[in-house]
Amino acid sequence: MRREGKFWGVAQALGAGLCVVVAARADESVVNSKHDLSAQGPGPIRAVQENEICVFCHTPHNAAPQTPLWNRANPRTHYRIYESSTTEARIDQPSGPSKMCLSCHDGSMALGNVLSRPVTHPIVMTARTIPPGTKDLTNDLSDDHPIGFRYDRALSNQDRQLKAPEIVSPDLPLGAHGEMHCTTCHDPHNNELGDFLRESDQMSLICISCHDLKGWPASSHALSNKTTVGRVVDATERLKYATVGDNGCMNCHKVHSAPHRERLLRFQREEDGCLNCHSGAVASFNIAADIGKRSNHDGRRRTDVHDPTERSLTMRRHVECVDCHNPHAVEHNSIGQVAGTFGQVLKGPNFFASGTTISGRDVQQASFLYEVCLKCHGDGVRQGPSEITRQVTAYGVRAAFQPSNPSFHPVAAPRRNQDVISLIPPLRVGSMITCTDCHNSDSARALGGTGANGPHGSINEPLLARNYDTTDSTTESGHAYALCYACHARESILNDESFPLHRRHVVGQRTPCSACHDPHGVPRGSGGSVNHASLINFDLSIVTAAKTPGGSKIEYLDTGSFSGSCTLACHGVTHVNFPYSNPRQSGSRRISSRATAGGRP
Amino acid sequence: MMLRMAFRIVVIPLFIMMSGETPKSGFEGSKHDFRKAEWAKSDPCAVCHTPVNEKPPAMPPLWDPKADLNRTFGTPLARSAGAGSGTAVCIRCHDGTVARNMIGRKDPFISREHPGRFEAGHGRKDHPVGVDYPPIDRRYRPANAVTASGSVTLPGGKVECTSCHDPHNFSGEKHMLVMSNARSALCLTCHKK
Repeated sequence: MRREGKFWGVAQALGAGLCVVVAARADESVVNSKHDLSAQGPGPIRAVQENEICVFCHTPHNAAPQTPLWNRANPRTHYRIYESSTTEARIDQPSGPSKMCLSCHDGSMALGNVLSRPVTHPIVMTARTIPPGTKDLTNDLSDDHPIGFRYDRALSNQDRQLKAPEIVSPDLPLGAHGEMHCTTCHDPHNNELGDFLRESDQMSLICISCHDLKGWPASSHALSNKTTVGRVVDATERLKYATVGDNGCMNCHKVHSAPHRERLLRFQREEDGCLNCHSGAVASFNIAADIGKRSNHDGRRRTDVHDPTERSLTMRRHVECVDCHNPHAVEHNSIGQVAGTFGQVLKGPNFFASGTTISGRDVQQASFLYEVCLKCHGDGVRQGPSEITRQVTAYGVRAAFQPSNPSFHPVAAPRRNQDVISLIPPLRVGSMITCTDCHNSDSARALGGTGANGPHGSINEPLLARNYDTTDSTTESGHAYALCYACHARESILNDESFPLHRRHVVGQRTPCSACHDPHGVPRGSGGSVNHASLINFDLSIVTAAKTPGGSKIEYLDTGSFSGSCTLACHGVTHVNFPYSNPRQSGSRRISSRATAGGRP
Repeated sequence: MMLRMAFRIVVIPLFIMMSGETPKSGFEGSKHDFRKAEWAKSDPCAVCHTPVNEKPPAMPPLWDPKADLNRTFGTPLARSAGAGSGTAVCIRCHDGTVARNMIGRKDPFISREHPGRFEAGHGRKDHPVGVDYPPIDRRYRPANAVTASGSVTLPGGKVECTSCHDPHNFSGEKHMLVMSNARSALCLTCHKK
């Protein structure tokens, strides 16, 4: 009895093992795959009676004059083909094996029409043609990955983000003339990997067999092990894999029937591709909350205006996530610190984003963070003057940050002005800062908040990290000029360590910093280099010209270290060549300043 | 014209139905049983099996009246292609002249322009015959596994007509196949798909 039981156990185990083996084999074969259209096939679309499997595509005799003994006529469909501003390939109408696939998958021809049967007696199927849906590609192939282009060395030389064809895996065969076909990615006889793919699409392995995207292997999108649960745009859609990293390209792209044709994006609105995850659930930070703030870079306002080939001087005014971020290359900002001396070189979140250099040249790959900003804010073609009317107006901040200017904040180049003694360490004379030191989300974690770093949105206009009052008669407080005091110590300013009359102006007369200082920088105006030193560029709504014997005049003159003179009218007081110098800073510093004379901007 | 239409619509399907469901197995009564044919009555086997040093029997009636008589019954075509007897005998008739090679198709089984082209290549309409079975190829099952199945033969290590077809109709399968092609079992004997 026991023995018998044992025998049955072994037999059952063997049987189970056999079943597993058979099942595994079935996956690798066309038999019992979705392409098994015989009456015994597994899918809903199958023959009513026909029990042969190969016959739907192949016949041993009198086949169509195409290589694999083809048993179907070619579709006569004219296809709309893929177009993109960034593709270098010449895409033709599909040919060869692709046409064979399309004979069913474009939905135009009856599935049971085979050459080995008379037209009057086709194989009777459960569905006449492939039903509408994801497998019916229709005659519109513009929302599908392009086929019918030649993938050769000439193409990979032109498109640096494609691998040279000779190093692409031989498991992904090209056509007789090196052209891409459906069969490059799909093996119609083998559904072991799902979707009849020739290579796994886990971590998008099959995609990166050809696509060599700069920065992708190390990017946080490729490496992310976050689960895709909690997406806001396509919450109900099932992704093939559980984590962002495993889904790879498919988080944002769709190879077939993509809602956004150009670049095969998964969403009609391009920002949905980002906000799907960056709305608080999948990704760490809620960008959607930031861009909803009063002052923002809200990509939701316009769709379909960004193009990777756009030029900074001719493009329409717009902002999209991809204007600043390259989703193929983004990395986590491991430093996590925005203010400071480190911000010069472009950091992770903006890796391989395009930009405009300080000299006005568009670059595909920005080297510095400010170049990303200058792409839109650099030249003022589409921007009005700043809200504050000043003596010298800089249209666009590229002019304001020029290293040849009398004075500027050290974004594009360091400064050597020894008079800036208010700096809070680690900042010091010669340090450089980034745009994001001032323009940032008010909740940025770099500022002690809990949100994402970066100028996504802020409650402080114009997209300022901290509060910055510019109206006249503002009562001085740490909050009123929090932006300035973040780097320039309030104690130093109010103790008159540099300009000896700071306290009198700022506290006594309740004059905002912006009344005298122009924060970005001042282009060389009509005067010489001494006229707009120390970022002096008066706010004309507060400071007016003084009547002098030589006529109306509004002027600041730098007369040396910690000394200068003003000619202006302000708060009912008129200064004419009113000189100042700081007695507390006399001596060695003045001499050292002279020693570096000429270098003083 | 009308006659041709009628032929296509009525006769061909009838032919398919009849040929598709061969009533019984065995040579007797099969389409290769020429005993009732006037021209072969004397020695019906000799249509295919010619004794040594004997001439083939008188010409059978031609299906295609325009056929090239000199070409039809001689077999230099097959020999030049290197095909074994398993193919040469068949295409004596099944080159589209004596017997129609396929339903509704008049064009010869083997191209007139390129006699002897059996090998795989672009524009080929028929499964290659007279070719060596691929030695080691992951797309095909090994030759010994194919022949071990007992139905499909590889005479001389080659794929011939007789690899798939049994002219004596012993199996009784449609198209005189050596075994049933239900679930494409015959195709999958060789093809790993």
